Amino acid sequence: MILFLKSIGTKRGALLIGLSLVFALLLGLFWDDESSEYAEISHNMLQLKQLDARLDRDMLRISSFLMVQYDPLVNTTNNLREMKTKIDLLVKEHDQQLRDLFSTYWQGMDEKLFLLEKIKFQAALVRNGIHYLPIIAEELRSNEPRLYEEILVLINQLYTYHLFSADSQFSDVKIKLEQIKQHEIDDAESQSLMDQVLFHIDSDLHGLAKLDLLKRRYLDIPSQDSFEAIHARHEANRIAETSTKRQLIMLLTVVVFILLLGLWQLIRSLHNAHQEVNRSWYRLHDAVNNLSEAFALFDAEGRLVLFNQRFGDFYPWLKERDMEALTLKELQAVTGSRVKNLNLEGDAILDLLPQGQYLEKLDSGAWYLSSNNHTTEGGLVCVRSDITESKRAEADLRKLGRVLEQSPASVVITNTEGIIEYVNPRFEKVSGYTAAEAVGENPRFLKSGDKTKQEYQDMWSSLLAGKEWRGMFHNKRKDGTIYWESASISPLRDERGNITNFIAVKEDITAQKRAEDQLRMNATVFDTTAEGIMVTDEENRIKTVNPAFTRITGYSQEEVLGRTPNILSSGRHSKSFYEELWESVLNKGYWSGEIWNRRKDGSVFPEWLSISAIKGEHGIAKEFVAVFSDITKHKENEEQIRYQANYDALTGLPNRSLLSDRLNQAIAAAHRENWMLAVLFVDLDHFKVVNDTFGHVVGDELLQLVSARIRACLRESDTVARFGGDEFIILLQDVTEMDSVANVATNIIDHITRVFSLYGREIYIGASIGITVYPDDAVNADSLLRNADMAMYQAKERGRNTYQFFTASMQQHTLERRQLELDLRQAIKRDELEIYYQPVINPSLNKVVSVEALLRWHHPYRGMVSPAIFIPVAEDSGQIGPIGEWVLKKSCQQLKKWHNAGFSDLKLAVNLSSRQRELGLEAGFLKSVLMETGLSSDFITLEITESLLMRDTDEAMAWLSDFKALGVSLSVDDFGTGYSSLSYLKRFPVDTMKIDRSFVNDLPDDIEDVTLVRTIVAMAQSLNLSLIAEGVETSEQAEFLVETGCENLQGFYYAKPMSAKELNHWLSADVLETGTT
Amino acid sequence: MKVRYLAAMHKKLFLLLFFLSYVPSLWAAEIKNEPILPLNLPLDSNPKLIALGDQLFHDRRLSRDNSLSCASCHLLSSGGTDRKPRSTGVGGVMGGIKAPTVYNSSFNLAQFWDGRADNLVIQAEGPVHNPVEMNSSWPEVISKLSRDAAMVEAFGQLFSDGITGKNIAIAIAAFEQTLVTVNSRFDRWLTGEQILNERELRGYRLFKSYGCISCHQGANVGGNMYSYMGAKGDYFKDRNSEITQADYGRYNVTGHEDDKHYFKVPSLRLAAINSPYFHDGSVENLDEAIRVMGRYQLGREIPDDDIRDIIAFLHTLVGEHNRFKP
Repeated sequence: MILFLKSIGTKRGALLIGLSLVFALLLGLFWDDESSEYAEISHNMLQLKQLDARLDRDMLRISSFLMVQYDPLVNTTNNLREMKTKIDLLVKEHDQQLRDLFSTYWQGMDEKLFLLEKIKFQAALVRNGIHYLPIIAEELRSNEPRLYEEILVLINQLYTYHLFSADSQFSDVKIKLEQIKQHEIDDAESQSLMDQVLFHIDSDLHGLAKLDLLKRRYLDIPSQDSFEAIHARHEANRIAETSTKRQLIMLLTVVVFILLLGLWQLIRSLHNAHQEVNRSWYRLHDAVNNLSEAFALFDAEGRLVLFNQRFGDFYPWLKERDMEALTLKELQAVTGSRVKNLNLEGDAILDLLPQGQYLEKLDSGAWYLSSNNHTTEGGLVCVRSDITESKRAEADLRKLGRVLEQSPASVVITNTEGIIEYVNPRFEKVSGYTAAEAVGENPRFLKSGDKTKQEYQDMWSSLLAGKEWRGMFHNKRKDGTIYWESASISPLRDERGNITNFIAVKEDITAQKRAEDQLRMNATVFDTTAEGIMVTDEENRIKTVNPAFTRITGYSQEEVLGRTPNILSSGRHSKSFYEELWESVLNKGYWSGEIWNRRKDGSVFPEWLSISAIKGEHGIAKEFVAVFSDITKHKENEEQIRYQANYDALTGLPNRSLLSDRLNQAIAAAHRENWMLAVLFVDLDHFKVVNDTFGHVVGDELLQLVSARIRACLRESDTVARFGGDEFIILLQDVTEMDSVANVATNIIDHITRVFSLYGREIYIGASIGITVYPDDAVNADSLLRNADMAMYQAKERGRNTYQFFTASMQQHTLERRQLELDLRQAIKRDELEIYYQPVINPSLNKVVSVEALLRWHHPYRGMVSPAIFIPVAEDSGQIGPIGEWVLKKSCQQLKKWHNAGFSDLKLAVNLSSRQRELGLEAGFLKSVLMETGLSSDFITLEITESLLMRDTDEAMAWLSDFKALGVSLSVDDFGTGYSSLSYLKRFPVDTMKIDRSFVNDLPDDIEDVTLVRTIVAMAQSLNLSLIAEGVETSEQAEFLVETGCENLQGFYYAKPMSAKELNHWLSADVLETGTT
Repeated sequence: MKVRYLAAMHKKLFLLLFFLSYVPSLWAAEIKNEPILPLNLPLDSNPKLIALGDQLFHDRRLSRDNSLSCASCHLLSSGGTDRKPRSTGVGGVMGGIKAPTVYNSSFNLAQFWDGRADNLVIQAEGPVHNPVEMNSSWPEVISKLSRDAAMVEAFGQLFSDGITGKNIAIAIAAFEQTLVTVNSRFDRWLTGEQILNERELRGYRLFKSYGCISCHQGANVGGNMYSYMGAKGDYFKDRNSEITQADYGRYNVTGHEDDKHYFKVPSLRLAAINSPYFHDGSVENLDEAIRVMGRYQLGREIPDDDIRDIIAFLHTLVGEHNRFKP
């Protein structure tokens, strides 16, 4: 309200205040600005005066020769110039007179500066003269002493003149000068000096006079007076300026005062108006407060201007707030979701401040009829009246109406005549007739016609007597369908007890009728389903069974009623199994699983059984329903899968995994029963050859036959399993003596070595068997199998087709091998390996053809270890990989050395093992070694064993071909000891054959060996292979071999393997001649 | 513990400050009381302005045909002059007077031989407009420079009114103020170093006793006064060549009959290396120049031995500047 009033007066007030401010500002401006410009001029003038004074001072110093250098003067001059520019700029705006005065002053200063320059020069000249005169006089002294004296007097007079510059002094000098000029001099040199003296004195006098004149002119310049004039003018200006300003200030002060007076008057009248307004305001407020409606008035800015007590009562949350400061926005924010706006029809309005009439519903349940209307000034009038009571009554009525409308029962109200006055929606839905169709009708239009007239009459008489009637109607819908209704009809009375209407409440019971039908159908399912169903009571006595039950079990319903399901028990399940089953049923309410039961005929069958408990009122099982199906077929399929997982598909024998189970079981049993147990490891001999030669089909069939033969040699309780390709394991349980085991083994070998006839071919194979015994040799499955394997290898080594018991020495051997393996690892690190070289001789040419690299191991405490021992170890452990590469590299480097030493056609043979291929040795490595050493591949032969050629033919072939492609030769070592198949010699790119020492040993006496060697030689010649015979120890052997056609020989007869160093000596010495080493 | 340590620290710090307070006075060793003062670089300087001045000093666009810059006649590497009796202007026109050095020019009381420019800013305008020098004009130069974006920006950064003749002159003058050949051997001697040899010292004594010092004094060894050429003998008559306009010297500026043949006394700071000599560049050798000076300004014949020693002294006046390669 106060703000509102203030706003009326603001415009005029603001104008007044603004004006006073402007004038006050002007006042301040004039007050303050009075002196700054004048002050600056004054300040500069002060400096100017200082500079002027300094200039005068310096002039005096120069003219009295006190200033030795003029740099300070330059500074002063420069400062003066700057000052001139500065002051000229400052006085540009000032009156002409001041400017003229300054201009006069500057003229004076320019004159001063001009004279000063002249003084500077003149002073320099005079000073030089004064300084020079005594010097030149001194030069005259020796020639003209008298003259010298005179001149000294003159110089002194001159100095006096310098000091006092009086006219009398000047005339003294003149007189003296004239006297000296009269002096006659004969000597030309003295004359010239004299002339000099006179010239300089003359010039000095001249200069001095000029200097004096300049000085006087300088001092005559009235710069001081000019300055004073300027100063006086400046002061006058300043005073004049100040006085005009003072007048202005006076004027401004008066104006400001008047303005302030006006302002005061305005404020007073405003105050009066304000009070008047306040009074009418309170009257209005009073009226508003007495309204029964809530009232609030907001101004155009949304501020709450006027409101009554009731407004606060209507919105109780506003009471905590300062209502005076409330704005429309705050009101809305505070109100928030506490109030819902609805239009008069009762639909929600989203608008927070609807215009016109609407309803407000508070969360407290109160209802207000509200209206918001804008005033002409843009304010807002809010009026609220409480309609909660009428709203509540309306709601109650509506609730009752809804009960009828939404009742799940059909309701029909008739008058006392039985004419329908009202039907509810349920009736419409059930009967299919709309209310419009039904009202005004007699309910008999629903009749289906199965009720007698008598029944209707009874109903009516009972009703008219004021009693309630209950019964069932079999009615007809509008669409003609029949439905069942149970009805209760009762009279309605008014306050006086007169019957005004009848009300019928009817329920559609068609669904109940349907449920009964459903039950009947369920019974049929029960009877016809393929799954057996059995219901037992709480004591687990059979109450009922279905026909499928009879079909599956063979028991009829009569036979089982009252009995427990135990009659079906197969006896295959333990007591605990049934306990768990019942626990689940009783606790969880169900159980399902696989169970074996027995039919009436005694046969046992698997079934899938589900048992559910049907609980009674107290949650205690009342009945149990068991449903089961025969899963015999299903079971058979499962068996099949289990078989495949455990048995070898080819032979039908247990496979590795079942063997492992059996073996563990057997060990457990043997342990329990204190039995002995024998494990036989059977490995077929030559099976691979059969497979490679005749193909897999033949091989597979052979294995089937072999497994049948083995089985035939065993008891039923013994197990034979297929362990790997051609390996079988036999498990003999309950062994008492070793002899019987040995017999079994012999028997098996016997059977296997017999001829097999397949596809019209006769095939011979053999078997080697390793035997190990529990608990003597080992106590666990793995160890037993490993022992048996080792024993089997031993048997093979002893010559095939035999058996071998595992022995303690084998154990020892195993340990030693392991130790050796560890030592070998160290050997590489410790540099214990060395390459020896054994020469190969061509006796016909009497020449060392090549050397074979042989590895030696200097074991730290075993001494020299045979390659036959450590090479297999290296192969097994994989160490042959790095060792082999080392040998290749070292021996090639050595060969290069020999080549360099002059044995330039010496060749080198290095042994290659098939393990090296598996360990990743590639031809590329040899190539890089050859590159490094610079050796030609022609000099290198790689020696391979027959066995290498036999294994993994294709890959081995590719591998060797890679090497061959480098240009190295290949040689087959130990020819004749293996399978000696000619076919591989044709297929592999072999260049050389080495005849094994075992054929050479007994030459030339052994006829068989002689024949063999001859055959080999012939074969080599036919295949165009060169030959080397190993192990030549005697001259007879050598002679025979040479004679037979074997051109190259190797052996102790010529040379044993030697270290590189020894071989150096050997090669250098002409040892071939002697034939010994 | 810590407190004690701090206290010790304070004591040390105090001692250090105490000694340091003596350093300025130790450093600024007493300068000998002589008529010649050591040269010093200007104290306040605006590097950007100087860089711009440097660029303009070497900018040939200041001449009509873009052939000459300030540096064409004032070669900074060789003493700030072209070492010719007359300089060559635009189109090969010969100038009327010998180009003085720009080095140490800020110490002069005015610029040009006749002192027609009060300071370097005014001076810079001269050669630009002189028909026998750059033969150009400010509007022409400004229009050329305004086409150079980098120039426009450089000026924009330094001056509110951009490229104007005044601003070009201000920049060049600022650069020229830094052309000071400091640290000469003589200046070092003045500050107390005993680095002058006997001959050089004798040269200086002679320089004083002959009276050369009367005009050639101050920091610039000259440049702070005007002097009459031929104070003790008629130089122009003996020169044996026609009197030129330039020979009138300061008279050309003031019109005072008294100012005829008055010239600004040139600085001798770089005299030892900047031949030829005098406003007309008529003397090629330094010994001859000294001889002429003795004869016409002092009224004395200076013996060769003395001349030799004075020359030795003049060499000690030559200082250092990073552009200057004597």
